[in-house]
Amino acid sequence: MSLITQVLTALGWIVVLLAISPMVWLIVQPYFKGWSRAERRAADLLRDTLTPEQFRQLVWRGYLEVPSPTEPQRVYRVPRTKGYIQVIENGRAVMRLCVQPVESLPDADVVVLHKLMIEANEENYLQKANKYVCID
Amino acid sequence: MIRVMSRRGDDRITWDEQKVLAGDPEATAAVREAERIFAQERAKGATAFRVEPGKPSQRIDQFDQTAEQIVMVPRVVGG
Repeated sequence: MSLITQVLTALGWIVVLLAISPMVWLIVQPYFKGWSRAERRAADLLRDTLTPEQFRQLVWRGYLEVPSPTEPQRVYRVPRTKGYIQVIENGRAVMRLCVQPVESLPDADVVVLHKLMIEANEENYLQKANKYVCID
Repeated sequence: MIRVMSRRGDDRITWDEQKVLAGDPEATAAVREAERIFAQERAKGATAFRVEPGKPSQRIDQFDQTAEQIVMVPRVVGG
């Protein structure tokens, strides 16, 4: 294939991409806008629910530690994004939990959900969770 | 205020307790709407928490218009 043909093919593709990009943007734009609005609202709720120390921990370490209300040596480590909740007892990871809402939620809302469930509904939370025991 | 978690972030309804006590129709309507949403979400399996700054959150089964903030979370399942 000659150089001229290659250049013309490339130019043709560029023209096609430029032509369809506004249409693609019109289609996906509402999803981007909707999601970012949802994330912003969820972030507001997260800030309202956490203490400044907890918020800093979540931002810098990537997880939030929620002490068990019933077992003083137990802490739940909730990740900032989707993932397992680690159960730490006496400084050692003993279990991983998988619990998720039936409805898709922004990540920040999921953190709040775990915190509230652990603090005020721990028994029910543990009943619902799928448990994976950590073996050294 | 009641905040209901959803894929849109959280939907919220606010009211002024003092205005409700004074019989303000707008505030009373907001409380009624919040109460209706509370019942509707509970029926779907949501759990409600009373959340106040500096205090441990508390699970509630009845709507409480005096709560500073009620947060409703959807039903959870093991993943």
